[in-house]
Amino acid sequence: MTADPRDLVVRGLTKRYANGALANDRIDLHVHAGEVFGLLGPNGAGKTTLVKQIIGLLKPSAGSITLGREDFVANPDTARALCAYLPQGALPLSSFRLQEVVELVGRIRGGDAPAVRRRVDHLIAALELDEWRDTAGIELSGGTRRLAGFLMAAVWPAALVILDEPTNDVDPLRRRLLWRLIRQLAEDGSSVLLVTHNVLEAEQSVDRLAVIDKGRIVAMGTPSSLKAGDRQSLRLQLSLVPGVDPPAPPPFAHRPIRLGQRWHLGIDQSDAPEAIRWAQDRMAAGVAEEYVLGATTIEDLYIRLIGREDALDRAS
Amino acid sequence: MNLFTRWLRSYGLMVTWELRSLRTVLPLAFVVQTMISSGLILGLGFLMHDITATQAQFLAVGVTVVSMITLGMVMAPQLIASQKQSGAYEYLLSLPVPRTTLIAAGLTVHSLIALPGAAVALLIAWLRYDIALSVSPIVIPAALLTLTTAASIGFALAHAIPNPMVTSLVTNVLIFVILFYAPINFPADRLPVWLASVHQVLPFGHSANLMRAGLTEGLASSVGVSFAVLGGWALASWSVTAWVVGRRA
Repeated sequence: MTADPRDLVVRGLTKRYANGALANDRIDLHVHAGEVFGLLGPNGAGKTTLVKQIIGLLKPSAGSITLGREDFVANPDTARALCAYLPQGALPLSSFRLQEVVELVGRIRGGDAPAVRRRVDHLIAALELDEWRDTAGIELSGGTRRLAGFLMAAVWPAALVILDEPTNDVDPLRRRLLWRLIRQLAEDGSSVLLVTHNVLEAEQSVDRLAVIDKGRIVAMGTPSSLKAGDRQSLRLQLSLVPGVDPPAPPPFAHRPIRLGQRWHLGIDQSDAPEAIRWAQDRMAAGVAEEYVLGATTIEDLYIRLIGREDALDRAS
Repeated sequence: MNLFTRWLRSYGLMVTWELRSLRTVLPLAFVVQTMISSGLILGLGFLMHDITATQAQFLAVGVTVVSMITLGMVMAPQLIASQKQSGAYEYLLSLPVPRTTLIAAGLTVHSLIALPGAAVALLIAWLRYDIALSVSPIVIPAALLTLTTAASIGFALAHAIPNPMVTSLVTNVLIFVILFYAPINFPADRLPVWLASVHQVLPFGHSANLMRAGLTEGLASSVGVSFAVLGGWALASWSVTAWVVGRRA
């Protein structure tokens, strides 16, 4: 993709908090107009700090954030006008009814009442939320509140839509509807910056992604380009019997990673039969409880990059 | 749309936002307000046996003032503090409206919602003590400034104190100052001299003085000074709030 005058460009973005913590360390990003860009990383990696700087809630210590010709660091008001934002935390919904609050945000974002009403009807139907249209926020389930928050971000076109963990607490069926709408936002011309720690879900839904850890970007690209190095590889996952000393990794395994009671081993396709035999022997010896041999996913790359089990949050 | 009509549009929408976001709280606030005022009027009556006509006038206006300023100075900051804790506060700051409309809408709503409860307080006092009220036009600017200043101070406290727990603590202390250590329900000469002189620069006694000027005869003095002091507090509070809301951490 070539540069578009509506692209979000982040250069050398650094944020050091007053207590000395370095939350973002020289981050470079280029999110293209019409693209769904995933920002992955474990808790505390600096994802939310990054988006709060883009939306103008935090001031960068160094670096630049521009959308087209607009300088977001110098003009946070412009950032708020051009970005729609679903924050990670709670939304002030308690005393609003669902449709009412989405409509009000649509008007605050600049829409006129009839157009906003049509758009809200469309969105509520698309997420199958009709039965909660007039329900007060305080009576909505956590997932429905999250979806209401998404609608508040999607209700009126924005150059950049920032979604911080949009699928949290959302049921699997509506997650799919939600992903479809997120894709639609991009097709309608918005750039979508999607923050998540749900790796598998992101792999299926984003155009490109960046993995962020300890404030730095450690990998960036399309899901398939990030997996390119693993193309000939399989993943052998071995669940160990608790309390037993882990076996030495077999000679054909590469990049063994221990995550609590689980071993993750990279295996060449040609070594698959040998790997199955090895795993079955470990089970017979009472060292392992079960094994799974499968294709590598972004999750394998992610675990390798982050190297900690707390980094993981599997799709439910 | 020019800048001003755009500002007005955002302001109107944010007033709607504030009113709707408070609609579950408002009935409760009114009940609490009325309970506090009737409790004060009846309870202080029991405490101060043989109440004189002047004392009754002080009490009636005082309780009305307490009712007017507690919502803005105590309830508003506690609501904002809880918004800060839940993260909802940041969402409001991310909306594409001028920050001044956020503050102005909040102040408008938090000032005006105290009025019904305050009117009821005055009514209860009037029914209980059969006091002589003499309403003068000055009551309108006096009431508006009293309400606005209280809400402005409440907003400044809530926005300027980073820790919401501290905000709650400070506002709880404020209730006691308002009830017992400020010349609201009684004249300033009942206080120790040093405390009375402190109150010459604090807003509480001046609010009561202005409302006495608007509702009674012969119980208020130096009305101009009270307007000036309250106006000063409102301006200072707006500056603090605007500075805090306008800056990025």
